[in-house]
Amino acid sequence: MTLVRETYYLFVRGLKQSLRPWPSIIPSLFLPVFFLLVFSAAFANIRELPGFTAENYLVFYAPVAILQAIFFSSGDAGIDMVVDITSGYFDKMRIAPIRHISLLIGKLLAVGLRSIVQAGIVIAFILLLGGKIVTGVGGFLVILLLGALFGMAWSGVGITIALLTKNQRATQSAFILFFPFTYITTAQLPLHLLTGWYKTAVLLNPVTYILEAFRALTTTGWDGTAIATGFLAAACVAVVTLTAALVSFRRFAR
Amino acid sequence: MATPTDQTSIIEVRNLVKRYGDATAVDDISFAVAEGDFFGFLGPNGAGKTTTMRILSTLLKKTSGTVRVAGHDVDADPDAVRRSIGFAMQEISLDNLASGYENLQLLGVLYGLTPREARTRAEELAQVVGLAKVADRWVNTYSGGMRRRLDLAGVLMHRPRVLFLDEPTQGLDPQARRIIYDYLRRLNADGTTIFLTTHYMDEADALCRELAFIDKGKIVQAGTPAQLKAGMGGDVIALKFRPDVVLEQAERVVRSLVGDKTDITRGGDQQISVAVKGADQFVPRLIEQLDKAGTPPLSLSVAQPSLEDVFVKLVGRSFLEDDESQLVHGRDPFVAGGEGQS
Ligand SMILES: Nc1ncnc2c1ncn2[C@@H]1O[C@H](COP(=O)(O)OP(=O)(O)OP(=O)(O)O)[C@@H](O)[C@H]1O
Ligand SMILES: [Mg+2]
Repeated sequence: MTLVRETYYLFVRGLKQSLRPWPSIIPSLFLPVFFLLVFSAAFANIRELPGFTAENYLVFYAPVAILQAIFFSSGDAGIDMVVDITSGYFDKMRIAPIRHISLLIGKLLAVGLRSIVQAGIVIAFILLLGGKIVTGVGGFLVILLLGALFGMAWSGVGITIALLTKNQRATQSAFILFFPFTYITTAQLPLHLLTGWYKTAVLLNPVTYILEAFRALTTTGWDGTAIATGFLAAACVAVVTLTAALVSFRRFAR
Repeated sequence: MATPTDQTSIIEVRNLVKRYGDATAVDDISFAVAEGDFFGFLGPNGAGKTTTMRILSTLLKKTSGTVRVAGHDVDADPDAVRRSIGFAMQEISLDNLASGYENLQLLGVLYGLTPREARTRAEELAQVVGLAKVADRWVNTYSGGMRRRLDLAGVLMHRPRVLFLDEPTQGLDPQARRIIYDYLRRLNADGTTIFLTTHYMDEADALCRELAFIDKGKIVQAGTPAQLKAGMGGDVIALKFRPDVVLEQAERVVRSLVGDKTDITRGGDQQISVAVKGADQFVPRLIEQLDKAGTPPLSLSVAQPSLEDVFVKLVGRSFLEDDESQLVHGRDPFVAGGEGQS
């Protein structure tokens, strides 16, 4: 069978798995919208801060909500994987006469699509709340593309932990990585208002550049450098996490 | 059992060893299974049956030895092995958030059937295992036995040449078990080689043409069910006595007739059993002597040894003695928790 066919079947299965039962996707939509509402209310007056140029905090914070939606949808990939591993379902897939890489690609594509759907829903909320995307429909599509790429890249973390530990709790705990990676960024304040070690950490965090690309697309406009840097950062994360996932896959049959 | 060099062997295992850390789960075993055979792999818990099957099915890497299945080396050409086999694992593994049909059809297409063929085959097998009515429902609504039957159906989707079944009838009701037996017999008659592990000795006796007993990672005996039972030293005579009879006294009488070399087993409830050759001539003498000693039996039965007797004789005792030693502790903290798979 061709790689494309088997990958397609596994992609469909992975997508169903990640969306079933459907209420289970509500929490991963709830949190980004919740933070968006809370923070834009709490920091409503932050525009008064010298140097803060965005017209309001909702507009400034919106890209963070999009990023969170992607984090949450990709984090589930590791959980789905570890459920399959502990139930023995993954073994059933491993003895099927398929290229094992299609197991990984199928899962990644499912994560990518789910990221797109979740980011799309969150963007709809942002628009409803009075936010906007200055780059229009084109920008919207680029946001989804970058979101899918970063979603796939980030899911490599959970998948790797699932393959290495074969343990539900350990895989679940990958969730905590979300906090430093989302918040040690320009999520709360623009870069020029940051200082010291914190600014260094923010600059070293690849997620900062993805966030800035989102921010360019939603708020500042077609900033080619910011957007390209965002894609480059997502690609770098992908290379690292997916290599780790592949290596742990190889080790799996010890 | 075919020898490992037999041309017609579809499974060839030579000097297979599997170690987990310091513990040896499979300890240098060699055997072969002829194409079309119905092979039973029997042994106590922790003997190494599942480990062996996981290696044969390419799921687990062996420590050393050579394994060929359907003419292909499991390390050199795992894909070719995978195409030829089906493996119903000891633990049921299904996609719980999908219907019975979705489960079967995914396996079908992954094994190269078209979606339409997969659907037809899935309907056919759902019928065979008695799940046709519920196959559209999500698996998380199934009972344990239904899950087991769906799992089995999944393994049959692609009509494998060699079928590995690790305790396939565990948890099934007697009728479901009979249906599965009959279907397996038919598959075997049509040429499918079957490699079966079970703890139901009657099942093994009725189905298997060749057997191997494994204990503590080593094969302790192999042969046809008839050969193995014949090796038991004849028929089993079971005697039961009234409560006031002193069992030691009766045992002395039996001992005087069978000599020192024969095992006499004492049951808790005033029972004694002993295996002898030529029971028909032995029984009258036995009753006469027991009467004379004032320990007449309350009842007496003569039975051909069952496979269960063979099992107990070959591996039963060791199983009871050192249950502890069968637990191998993995060093991986996550695997030691019991959630590890390979
Ligand atoms: N992942 C593992 N890590 C360490 N030891 C293991 C692992 N899997 C199995 N073992 C050990 O290998 C030995 C053989 O186990 P195996 O599962 O093959 O037994 P079995 O014959 O299938 O038993 P059962 O009848 O209970 O299914 C046991 O002592 C077991 O503790
Ligand atoms: Mg077992």
